Formats: sequence, C-alpha cells, structure tokens
Amino acid sequence: MTDQPPPTDGATVPDATAPEGTNIEGKAPDVEPTVETPEADITRESELERTIGLIGGLAIGIGTMIGAGIFVFPGIAAGEAGPAAAASFGIGAVIALLVALPASELATAMPKSGGGYYFISRALGTLPGVVVGLSLWFGLVFATAFYLVGFGYYAVDTLSQLGVAVGESLVVPLALLFGAAVTVLNVTGTENAAKLQNGIVALLLSILVAFLTFGGLDALGIIGSSSAPEEFAPFGTMPIFTTAALVFTSYLGFAQIATVAGEMKDPGRNLPLAMVGSVVVVGVLYVATVFVATSALGSVALGEAGETAMVAVGRDLLGAPGALAIVLGGLLATMSSANASVLSTSRAIYAVSKDALLPSRASRINLRWGTPHVALGLAGGPILVLVATGQVQVLAEVASFLHLVQYGLICVSLVVLRRRDPDWYDPSFRVPGYPVLPILGALASFALVVFMQPTSLLVGTTLMIGTVAWWAYYARDVQLKGVI
Amino acid sequence: MRVLVPLAVLANESVSMGLVNLLSTTDVTVLGYHVLPEQTPPDQARAQYADRANAVLEDLVTDFEAAGGSADHRLVFTHDRKQTFDRVADDVRADAYAITGTTGAVETLLVPLTGDVDVDRIVAFVTDLVGDRDIAVTLFGVAGKAKADAARRGLDDAAATLADAGIDASTSFSSTAAPLDALTDAAKVDLLANASMDHDAIVMGERAPSLQSFLFGEEARRVAAESVGPVLVVRREREPAPADVDEDGERDDEEKSANGPR
Repeated sequence: MTDQPPPTDGATVPDATAPEGTNIEGKAPDVEPTVETPEADITRESELERTIGLIGGLAIGIGTMIGAGIFVFPGIAAGEAGPAAAASFGIGAVIALLVALPASELATAMPKSGGGYYFISRALGTLPGVVVGLSLWFGLVFATAFYLVGFGYYAVDTLSQLGVAVGESLVVPLALLFGAAVTVLNVTGTENAAKLQNGIVALLLSILVAFLTFGGLDALGIIGSSSAPEEFAPFGTMPIFTTAALVFTSYLGFAQIATVAGEMKDPGRNLPLAMVGSVVVVGVLYVATVFVATSALGSVALGEAGETAMVAVGRDLLGAPGALAIVLGGLLATMSSANASVLSTSRAIYAVSKDALLPSRASRINLRWGTPHVALGLAGGPILVLVATGQVQVLAEVASFLHLVQYGLICVSLVVLRRRDPDWYDPSFRVPGYPVLPILGALASFALVVFMQPTSLLVGTTLMIGTVAWWAYYARDVQLKGVI
Repeated sequence: MRVLVPLAVLANESVSMGLVNLLSTTDVTVLGYHVLPEQTPPDQARAQYADRANAVLEDLVTDFEAAGGSADHRLVFTHDRKQTFDRVADDVRADAYAITGTTGAVETLLVPLTGDVDVDRIVAFVTDLVGDRDIAVTLFGVAGKAKADAARRGLDDAAATLADAGIDASTSFSSTAAPLDALTDAAKVDLLANASMDHDAIVMGERAPSLQSFLFGEEARRVAAESVGPVLVVRREREPAPADVDEDGERDDEEKSANGPR
C-alpha cells in the first residue's frame, strides 16, 4: 500500500473509501468521482448524458422478461404442475417484487452501470462482488441461450404455419443462426434499435391484452364452449414450488434495468417505477396467460405441446389467425429477450472489468462502430455453445440459479447498508416494511434455489466455485467495499 | 453573448479558421460530443477516449483565444445528440449555436429573415457579432406576392438598424410567383442555399418545432447541408427554466420556501 499514489479525488464523496489494491496485472479499479444530476453525470473530464426515460426503462424490463414467461413456459409448467402452474408464476412474481423493491432503493442510492453487481461489491466487498459479477455474466449467457432455443422452437413453428414442415431437428440450428446474427448486429449496428425494441414491446402487449381478454371471457364460460374444470393441483403442492423455481427465469429482467441505471434520466423517480412496474405488468400477464391457457386446452394437452403450447391455445381460441398471432408474438418476444440480454451481458462485463476484476481488454470499444466488440464477443461465444446443447430446462434453471444468488445478496446488501449507514448512502426511494421485506426477499430467493433439478444445481455451483477461484487468482487484493 | 460550437471530436470534425475568426467577438463554448450506440454505456467511452478528446478540445480553445475571443469547452458522451445540445445550450445560456461547415475568411454574411423568427434577436446578434469589423451583411427575404410589401418593409427596417450600428447592410428580396403562403419549406431552403453561394456564412433564426421539422429535420440543418459554409443559429427566447422560477420565488418569499415541498 505504501507505493500507492495518495487518493486525490475521494474527497468529493464524504465517507467513501478510495479504491485500494490492484489485480494480478497491477491495475486498480477505475473509480471516477462523479456528480450525479437528473440529466447527466458530471465527471472531472467529461459529462455523461442520461438519455433513457421511464418508457425506455419499462421496455428493457418488460422486453427482457416477456419472451420466456408467456411464450415458452406455459406448456412446460402446466405439464409439471397442472392448472396450479398459475400459482407457480404468482410465487415468482411475489419473489421478484420482494427483490425489485430493495434493488430499487439501492439503485437510487447508486445509479451506476453494473446493477446488482455494483450494489453487492460496494456493500459486501470484493469476493461477493466477483462471484455475483461473473455469475451475472454467466447467468445472462444462460438466459440468452434459453431465449434463443425458445426462438428456435417458434421459428420452426412459423415455418410449419407457412406450410414448410421441417421438424424439431432444425430448432438448434435456427437458434444458433439467430444468436450469431444478434451478436454481429450488436457489434456493427449503430442504428437506434431502442426505438424498435419499444415498438416490439408495445405490439406484444397489444397482442397479449387482446388475446387475454378474449381468452379470459372464454375461460369464464361467458363466450365459446365451456370446458370441463379440472383439478387445480393434480400433482400436489411440491410441483408448484419446483415449477416456480423453473419459471423464475421469466422474471430475470427487472434487475437488468439497474444495469442501465447510469444512463437513466431522473433515476430517483424512474428506476423504482420501471423496476417495480415491469414486474407487476409481466406478473399479471403471466398469471392471466397460464390461467387462460390451462382453461382453454387443459394442462395435459398443454404439457404435451411443450415449448410452443401457446400456439395451440391461440388456435383453440381464435382459429388459424389466433395461432398466427401467437407465433408472430413468440418470435418477436424471444428475439427481444435475447437481444436485451446480450446488451445487459456486455454491460455486466464492462462493470466488472472497470473494477479490475477482469482484464481491461474486455471492455474495449472501437471508434468505427462505437460498440464494445470484445464484451459482445464474450457474450455471444458462450451463448452459442450453450444453445448447441438445446437443453431448455437446464438452461433456464441455471440462469435462474445464478440470478437468484444475486437477488438474495442484493437484499442482504440493503440490510447491511442500512445498518452501516455510510454518509454516501442516501437513496431517494426507501423500501417499505424494512427490515422484514428485504429479509423475506433474501430468504425466498435462496429458498427457491433448493427446488431446482440436481443437474442445474451442480452446473450453477460449479460456476460459482470457478468465480471464487478466479477471485483468488486474479483480484484477491482489490478492495471495493464502500468505494463509491 | 455566447455561441455554442458543437463538434463531433472523435468523428474527425473540426472548426475552420474562418469560423474561429468570425466568432472572435463572442464568448465561445466548444461542445465536444460523441454519440454512442445504445450497446455502449457512455461511461465506457469516457474511460477510453476522454483524454484524447479533451486534448483536441483544449487545442481548439487555444485557437479561439488566439483569435481574440474568450472560450471554454465541455465534453459529453451521449446516446442522444439533440438532448445534449439543448441541455448544454441552456446550461451555458448560449444565444446561438454553430453548425461548423467550411470557410475561409468571412467577409460576407447572409441573414435570412423568413418565416416566424425573432427578427430583433437576430439583428441584435448580428450587430454584436460583426462589431466594428468589415463584414458585409445581406438581409434576405422571401415571400409570396400577398405579403411581399410587408416582408420588404421588415427587411428595410432591419437593414436600417444595422446601418445605424455602422454595418454595411443590404437587402435581397425574392418575391415568388407562388400564390399566397404556398411557398414550401423545401423551396425556401433551396432559395436560401442559392443565395448562400455568394456569401461566406449564414446567420439564421431557430424556428419552433413543427410537423415539417419533425419530418425533414430542422430547417437550419437542411440549410447547412445545402450550403458549404458555417451556419450560426440564433436560439429562440426560452421560457425561464423552472429552477429559475423556484429560485426567484424563494428569494421573494422566504416563508413559502421554508414551508414548501422541498
């Protein structure tokens, strides 16, 4: 420590620790003293414009989440839990909300890129930071692979709707092709895809609301043929929880809003609204969708129809146009989820590499396109490998596992920071029901992990042990606790 | 009087010496900016390019000061160019902003006074800008036949004001055959671009956003795209920012601010 230059800029933030220690390459975290205003962040050398509004934040959250929950999971979930799958989605929504509230408070106190990783590394220190930061990267990679396989199923279904029967053998190749396209487009594309994403989300929401309104009327027996009511939880209560653990992947998205916290206008207001709002919107849509789907077809038929069961539901309710609308919606939704997650992955890698926990090469950008090509490659490469496995359920569960550990630690961070109460901790949004709510959030997040398949637990745990090994090798001396 | 000079520094944009000298009578804020695609957090670009961009900006500030003006610089990484321009222009209270273009020494200025612009502000800006220098100003007007007389009178009045300030001012008026106000924006831009060929730079007024500016882009940008030289755009009068109103209110009424929501 004696050969460190004296910290010169720590004084701008009261009570903040200056970064100490370096990684194995001798690099220290790049901590830039920043004055945050609602419109821009002012650093010593430049200003960083905040350009994402509330609508943009909601679109990121909803756009990331909606693909899986509505278009991929209903069939699988109904097959495992029967009509009670709706309850599984409900449990997921409650847990997501229990985490979204603490995450909102932390994000308004630390509106920086990096999201959950940033809160945890500052509250709990470098080791938990490394574990969560790298797990966020891997978790997003698994989630994106899962969305892409879902896309593959919908692409095959689209072809068969168009009269080209190709069979499920093409699911993985199509998913690989699209995954590669997403990566390349993100490296070379400088067009403003955010507007496109907003449009896609708006279109999806309209399709869904129309579909749910009609399906809801049908399910309640007001119009159409009445179907025989079936037992709510034919397989008992245990599958409700295991299914909740499986479908929790559909809620990985609200925390992605925190990864763009540094770019959000008026973060004190927009971050909590976007995070909590997107969870509420998708939670309601999920539960309603599963209710409508199980009422229309019955859970057995849904379970047999698998990943694209919703197409069968659409056909049952509205005939061929209904099937077509759902196929179109499924394509758009899985695309938007995959694209949004690739972007979040690259931001997650940047946040970690900025703090000297990964080589700084990982966050290089180029002037030709202005894009972080290395980080996008570090996202796209592993994604394609995972897509090739085609294992929908394992991909989804490992993604959930890695995220849930992060979510649990977010809640722990909130409690730790509230108790330690450093001067710089001044959130403009405060969690109601402290300390019960964040403690419940932490317990629920960790508890959900227990209900996962052994394979998923094994893969997830192995990855986490790997991140600890990386910390021990690469970044043992880096100090991040309280470094704002 | 302050002029904002936005410059995409990392995209090889630069300022011609002609513009530097033209602005020597004003305070200048050079706004170096870099627009990033949404894939890239602005902070990531800062880490990599801020030093490089600031070095260029400091050189430019030296150039502006060597020409006799006073200058400073700001550097912004953004996803949204327009939002950044508006924020910084409001922040430094800029009276005008520049679209840089290319020119040698500026000896003639074209000042179009068409459409719904604040003529007094433009004339005052031109007066201060030209100062006692030997720069000839052409006031330019276009109107349909019905409004030709009124428009011509407006030009003459403005020219008289400039002449009173010792500036060599002339007028150029095009009355078009087009009936009434049917003169389209596109036609105006064309006429302006033609007139600009005999001039080194343009000073024009900013117009309120309209359907046309939404569809085709701001008039000033379209003029700049058609003419080669720099375009100085005199900003519209802004509503006082809400923060200013608050400050005034608090100063006037201590009690209110003490009990206010803040």
